[in-house]
Amino acid sequence: MNQTGQLEGGYNSRTRANVIRLFYWNGAWVAATALMAFGPKFLWNKASVFTLLAVGLDLAVGAGMIVANKKYIAELDELQRKVQLDSMGITLGVALIAGVPFSVMDAYHVIPFHADIAYLLILMSLTFAVSSLFGTWRYR
Amino acid sequence: MKNRLKVLRAERDWTQAQLADALDVSRQTVNAIETGKFDPSLPLAFRAARLFGLRIEEIFHDEDRAV
Repeated sequence: MNQTGQLEGGYNSRTRANVIRLFYWNGAWVAATALMAFGPKFLWNKASVFTLLAVGLDLAVGAGMIVANKKYIAELDELQRKVQLDSMGITLGVALIAGVPFSVMDAYHVIPFHADIAYLLILMSLTFAVSSLFGTWRYR
Repeated sequence: MKNRLKVLRAERDWTQAQLADALDVSRQTVNAIETGKFDPSLPLAFRAARLFGLRIEEIFHDEDRAV
C-alpha cells in the first residue's frame, strides 16, 4: 500500500513503545514507593535523612511516570483517547463518591477497620480497568 | 453521521489495518467509524478525504439533514 502507507506501522509501533515506556515507569514508581514505605523500618532504622531521600525519589519517579502517561495518552488516536478519558472520569467519580462515605464510616466506627488509602487505590485501579475494558468492548 | 469509508476501502481492496496505518490510527478506530459507533474529528475526516482524493461531504453525511 505504497500510495497511502507512508505512515505504515507508525501508530502501532509508537503506541507499543509508549506502553513499554509507561510500564517501566510504573514499575520504577512501585519500587520507589515500596522503598519509601518499607525502607524506614527494614533498611535504615527510621533515619529521617534517608526517609526524606526516599520520599524525594518517590516524588521524582512519580513525576516521570506522570510525564510518560501524558505522552502515552497524547499519542493515542482520538477514539483510544476518548476511552481513556471516559475511564478516568468514571474512576474519579467512583473514588469521590466511595471515598467520602468510606472515610465517614471510619470516623464513626461503622466499619471494624481503618479506612486506609490502599483500599481507595485498589478500588480506583479496578474501576479504571473495568471501565477501559468496557470502553474497548463498546467500540470493538 | 453516516459514511462511505467501508465502500471506499473495499473499492481499493484495502484492509482495515491498511487504512488505519494510512490514517495513523488504530484498526479499532477505523472499525468504529465504519460501523457508525464513533464520529471522527474534523482533522481525521480531512485526512480521510485527502487519502481518498474526495471532499469530506463525499465521505461523511449528516444523518439528520437530507442532502
